[in-house]
Amino acid sequence: MADIVSIQNVYKEYPLDKVVVPALQGVSLNVIQGDFLSIVGPSGSGKTTLLNLIGCVDTATRGTVQVDGHDTKNLNDSQLTDLRLNTLGFIFQSFNLVPVLSVFQNVEFPLLLQRKFTKEERAKRVDELLEKVGLDNHTKHRPSELSGGQRQRVAIARALVTRPKIVLADEPTANLDSVTGENIIDLMKEMNRVEKTTFIFSTHDAKVMSHANSVVKLADGRIVNGKAAAAGAH
Amino acid sequence: MGWATLLLQISLRNIFSSFLNVVIGLIVLVGTLFFVIGGSLVNSMDKAMSRSIIGSVAGHAQVYQASSADSPALFESWQIPDLDPIPDFSKIKGPLMSDPNVAAVVPEGINTAIVVYGNTIDQILEKLRKAVSPGAKQSRETVESLKAHVRKMISDIQTDMTHVNQVAAKGAVDPQSYEDLRKASSGEFWNGFDKDPLNHLEFLENKIAYLVPDSDQIFLSYVGTDLDAFAKSFDRMQIVDGQAVPSGHRGMLLSKYVYEEMFKLKSAHRMDQIHEGLTEKNKKIAKDPDLQDLVKQNRLQTREIVLQLDPLSSQKAVSILQGTLGTKETDLPKLLASFFDTNDANFEGRYKVFYDQLAPLVELYRLKPGELLTIKAYTKAGSVQAVNVKVYGTFQFKGLEKSGLAGGLSLMDLMTFRDLYGYVTPDKIAETQSLEKAAGVKFITRDKAEADLFGGSASVEEQGKQKTINEKAEMGGAAKVKRVDLTSQVYSREEIEKGVVMGAAILLKDPSRLKETIKNLQAISDKQGLGLKVIDWQKAAGNLGQFVFVAKFILYLATAIIFVVALVIINNAVVMATLQRMREIGTMRAIGAQRRFVLAMVLTETVVLGLVFGTVGAALGTLFMVWLGHAGIPAANEFLYFFFSGPRLYPGLSAGSLIGAFFVVVVVTCVSALYPATMATKVSPIQAMASDD
Repeated sequence: MADIVSIQNVYKEYPLDKVVVPALQGVSLNVIQGDFLSIVGPSGSGKTTLLNLIGCVDTATRGTVQVDGHDTKNLNDSQLTDLRLNTLGFIFQSFNLVPVLSVFQNVEFPLLLQRKFTKEERAKRVDELLEKVGLDNHTKHRPSELSGGQRQRVAIARALVTRPKIVLADEPTANLDSVTGENIIDLMKEMNRVEKTTFIFSTHDAKVMSHANSVVKLADGRIVNGKAAAAGAH
Repeated sequence: MGWATLLLQISLRNIFSSFLNVVIGLIVLVGTLFFVIGGSLVNSMDKAMSRSIIGSVAGHAQVYQASSADSPALFESWQIPDLDPIPDFSKIKGPLMSDPNVAAVVPEGINTAIVVYGNTIDQILEKLRKAVSPGAKQSRETVESLKAHVRKMISDIQTDMTHVNQVAAKGAVDPQSYEDLRKASSGEFWNGFDKDPLNHLEFLENKIAYLVPDSDQIFLSYVGTDLDAFAKSFDRMQIVDGQAVPSGHRGMLLSKYVYEEMFKLKSAHRMDQIHEGLTEKNKKIAKDPDLQDLVKQNRLQTREIVLQLDPLSSQKAVSILQGTLGTKETDLPKLLASFFDTNDANFEGRYKVFYDQLAPLVELYRLKPGELLTIKAYTKAGSVQAVNVKVYGTFQFKGLEKSGLAGGLSLMDLMTFRDLYGYVTPDKIAETQSLEKAAGVKFITRDKAEADLFGGSASVEEQGKQKTINEKAEMGGAAKVKRVDLTSQVYSREEIEKGVVMGAAILLKDPSRLKETIKNLQAISDKQGLGLKVIDWQKAAGNLGQFVFVAKFILYLATAIIFVVALVIINNAVVMATLQRMREIGTMRAIGAQRRFVLAMVLTETVVLGLVFGTVGAALGTLFMVWLGHAGIPAANEFLYFFFSGPRLYPGLSAGSLIGAFFVVVVVTCVSALYPATMATKVSPIQAMASDD
């Protein structure tokens, strides 16, 4: 299977006052399509930085990041935005739904940005997804009227609505209780199975981690486990 | 389409999402409210005032001699502008009328005259003189009644003098005055009156009358005009008392306002003012210092009435007042003082008694329609001209009855105006020639002057001695000329129009084409060498015409300041609101929103917010204006009366203000959101990743 994400010897450094803080120090990683990959590690180990680079919301200081065959270094902001819109889906730790929009509108939002589908096509897709995440009775609710788990389900639906190749999730269960978190991971796994979508998620919860097909362990900006190498070896 | 709808939905739903938005909204609301109301008010006032100015004297435009030092200032009667005369009105009328939009050209000229009124005792003495003059048809009874009136006046004056002597410094009253008064009040003096009335009258006129210092000078501003054309062209003009000046006659129409203010018995005029204050302006004597002042003046200044009453009327007045006041007091001045000491409770009752019972005993006006008025005016050369002119009645401009500005000008026929202004009319030439003939004046040329005056053989002194003055012949000659009764002379239209005028009012068929018509008229004048200058009503009204301009300027300035302040506040508020939404914006960017989407979103949100609150502001403003349009704004004073073109301004909503308000709201919100919107586009999608903790 082809590598959907390919990272070669990537360094990421943040300037902090007069010193430079290294977040990633020579990370290399290949992710195959359809993987259900977990990035784990303690706080400050570089999990989020790695996800940001894969998610095209940030660029590497050195090294190459290829997402779906595009070297992100060669893309401008507008092209990166289009890549995010069409190839990637995002699930955030704090759900990040647009508060003034209904559940339906939140899920529909990326489709509107794509401007590729008619109203009917959009509605069909949104309804399908909301049914899959079990919120077909809540389409008209505002995010504030939903529980945390429900909100994250909406976020998952939003991330999947454009049928992206990769879904990135940064600590998707951190703000949820363990039972709800479990359900969310089950849902993601289900989507991974049915839609063949690649999932890359960070977590520091061992239970969550156990659902992953492959695990990348980060410490001090470096990959420290052999399994990651295995993942990259595909 | 979809995302535009989405933007709109986000915008609408975001309106109440933040306290900051409500602050922005309220600023826009207040600004719009202010703009709509202010704009509508100024607009309505502009319209009302132009009605006042155009409808009272100015017409839509004015023409005057271009060589003049000043320009017309129709409503500044305190200073007559220095205008050069237009030598012949008939020569300019035709060319001006040739513009198809000109409906009428009305000759006009403004001047101020002085009317000198003798005091009350003078007036009674004048009546007495007439009554005892040979050939008078007055009955014995009238003469006796007038005599009794004079005797009563003298005794009133004596009483006054005694009071003055008690309070004033020693020597304030000339002892000779006591002596004269004593003589005039003695039975002896009056017993001898019938035998030699003229000498007795002369004593009274010279020695007694001046002791009453209530003689009066009235400054009368007037427009000399073709009265027929004026009445036809200014259709708000209406006759109140008397009648219009018959066509082609000399004559005057006093402004009703001036008539009430200057010619009415002062006490009565003050009663009117109090009555108006209480009934029309809802004031209370107890609370209003102006009304209290009027009451006080009425209480203290009763002599005008006291002196007017002959003994019989005095008796009647005393019994009326005793009945009204329920007192046994017999002293008339004291009774009047307590009668006029009115308050909110008793005023209306007293007002009724005053007009129903007291007024018939006195002369309410010192001049009645149909009587002659002697007016003096300074000619342009500086000499004084006096003319007797018949006052046919009074007039007012409908809707401007209470305005001193519109009512400040009386109307005079053009012939009399020319006399007073000092321009030579054919009548004048005839009169001068006849005077010259009678007085034996001959013209001497400058080079022969010395010889003519001093070169004669007889010495000047000798001549003076030799020639006795033939009074009868000389005075008679002059009197004969003066006796030409100008009041019954009828002038043809041609005579009226052929001659000097100071300017003319131009009335248009279609006032909306004022500007181009003025241009055309100016072109006609320039082409034909008429030497005229044509100005619009606003300029012709002098400073007054600038009032609306100033009001508009202040409104726009205030609006501009409000919106500049709003701009700064809105800018800051949107910046703060954007900062609060960093994560939301970052999320949108992360899931694929381009920068331009974020830009459009912030701009749309601010403009929608502005429009929503602007609409509320405009709606409130509209409601307020509709209410105000029904209720009206009362004209608190004479000036407002003029600006409002009536007792109340019923302002209308101006469409211009509404459109203008929305335009300003869109521009202001767009501009003020521009910076925060650009700032929002720079929000990094990384912001979406930041966790809460």
